[in-house]
Amino acid sequence: MQYDVDVNGQRRQVTIQRTTTGFVVQLDGKEWQVDATRVNPHAWSLLVGHASHEVALAPDPASGQLAVHVDGIPVGVGINSRRRWGRTDHAAAGSGPQRLTAPMPGKVVRILVQVGDTVQARQPLAVIEAMKMENELRAVRGGVVTDVQAKEGQSVDAGALLLIVSPA
Amino acid sequence: MNKILIANRGEIAVRIIRACREMGIATVAVYSECDRTALHVRLADEAVAIGPNAPRDSYLRIDRIIEAARTTGADGVHPGYGFLAENEDFAAAVAEAGLTFIGPTAEAVALMGSKTAAREVAARAGVPVVPGTEQPLAPDVPDADIAAIAATIGYPLLVKAVAGGGGKGMRTVSDPADLSNAVRAARSEAGSAFGDAAVYLERKLTRPRHIEVQLLADHHGTVLPFVERECSIQRRHQKVVEETPSLAVTPELRRAITAAAAAVARAAGYRNAGTIEFLLDESGQFYFLEMNTRLQVEHPITEQVTGLDLVRWQIRIARGERLDLDPERLLTPVGHAIECRIYAEDPDNGFLPSPGTILQLRAPAGPGIRDDSGATAGLDVPIFYDPMISKLIAWAEDRPTAIARMRRALREYVVTGIKTTVPFFDWLFVQPEFERAAFHTTYLDEVLKQRNGQPFAQADAAQQDLAVIAAAIQVAAGGAPPAAAVAAPKAPMRAVQTWKTRARAEGLR
Repeated sequence: MQYDVDVNGQRRQVTIQRTTTGFVVQLDGKEWQVDATRVNPHAWSLLVGHASHEVALAPDPASGQLAVHVDGIPVGVGINSRRRWGRTDHAAAGSGPQRLTAPMPGKVVRILVQVGDTVQARQPLAVIEAMKMENELRAVRGGVVTDVQAKEGQSVDAGALLLIVSPA
Repeated sequence: MNKILIANRGEIAVRIIRACREMGIATVAVYSECDRTALHVRLADEAVAIGPNAPRDSYLRIDRIIEAARTTGADGVHPGYGFLAENEDFAAAVAEAGLTFIGPTAEAVALMGSKTAAREVAARAGVPVVPGTEQPLAPDVPDADIAAIAATIGYPLLVKAVAGGGGKGMRTVSDPADLSNAVRAARSEAGSAFGDAAVYLERKLTRPRHIEVQLLADHHGTVLPFVERECSIQRRHQKVVEETPSLAVTPELRRAITAAAAAVARAAGYRNAGTIEFLLDESGQFYFLEMNTRLQVEHPITEQVTGLDLVRWQIRIARGERLDLDPERLLTPVGHAIECRIYAEDPDNGFLPSPGTILQLRAPAGPGIRDDSGATAGLDVPIFYDPMISKLIAWAEDRPTAIARMRRALREYVVTGIKTTVPFFDWLFVQPEFERAAFHTTYLDEVLKQRNGQPFAQADAAQQDLAVIAAAIQVAAGGAPPAAAVAAPKAPMRAVQTWKTRARAEGLR
């Protein structure tokens, strides 16, 4: 089986075959023999050679990727690059308009920009209050605000579109 | 007391239930709609629903909580921290209902709850307070008069809400020209956050540490302070890491600051557990900051280095028992303890809350590790309350070993389905400033600003390869495809996605 995977902004190809003792995995010309045993529905014990790794996997609804926990570090892996609902593919890929969506249900406290504003990468765009805290939502990249959907004081659900920043 | 109602939720409710059970006291949990399956409800002997999810409709409803105590025949009430813990009306209502409030009197809560009144108590006890106004600014003081008062205090200064806490209703002013705007902004924020727009002025110390002293006071006049806690690692005025003892506190300073704390508590006529917070400046001078008239989030580190159970003592004191402890024991820490507050937040995305369903959870264990948590796999982290899911505490014979142990424990912590601040702590505990304890209350905000969103945990090439291998195996094995048991199983779109993924995975086999 062959899959396209996205990891750390790179598209890579992985080939995997079942064997009697586990899996043979090929990635970028390298090959691994992996003894993989499921320890629960969301975690595997992997023996790569003699190196032991416990790996936990969970879907990350916000990014539409799998969050793979390796040595305690979450690594986002998009497999087959399937498009998920609510997913902002362009933003993830680094081009096209950024759709700023509410990462959690809450109240829009402030909208810090207007249509036509030029914004820099990491500039705060809106403030949402949830879980007793005010949270700033920032631009991933610079651009121009082309649409503002949210209003101050409005309650929003997770995934609600707040505003759009298009490439300048 | 034979049955205690715990007017709280989450890890602190679980903590109190544990102490009660060890003492043979029955427990009553209260819960809002979304907390029906929460751990505190499952562990308590009895549980009573007190209303909808919003705190003001449930955990802040004094009438319903008193009613729940009556219905179940509870004779004591423990408020925990947060919610109604520092609400004088609640303490009074519990007493009026003929129940024992496990905490101070309503009068002491009211007195120390006003920042200006508390500063007066401290000054009366001969304890230095940060220079500032003794009374709240009257609402009609002209700007020119405020400017004159400010000039006598000196800049930079803080405009602070009298009823404040958690950094709300607080403004820093470095330039006299900004003063009147800052006063207006702080008044408006304090008014909406606390229902009390009163503010006062206080000098802003440069690079202070936050040092606090836990104490216990019985009903017979004994007040005993404990070895200090160092709580300078804060993000936006919220404590993130606490440790005890503090590397900045010498034995002489410990004598002085703990004696000062006890003097303030005596002057306030205080009973039960409380904490006096101080600021310690770079010259080693300390100033009274405020008193917390309740159990603190970070109480476990004090328990770890003294071997005492503070909740148990709260209950014993409320029963009228005497504090017959050796005062020296409380001031002589054994080893070193560190706590980190693990939140359902995404540290790599500006610490945004990350509510959702916890898919799997494995808490660390082993020597010197304590995990005070209310979270379990399968539980939702609701959006309505504080997103702390656990307090991870490491104890060891000395500070370097405690740090090593904490890092080991963090590595064992597995939480999936939501994001947590674990990767942030992995980063923090290897910072040279942390290792040398060379920090102050704005250290973390400053360094986070410098980092400008740079991720805390970066997988190296080998770890990325492993992640890809694991993802491929998970998909190829098919049994539990990526979108199965997705965070929100209620969402029909996700259910559809699960079916699609399963079908696809099976087709590939």
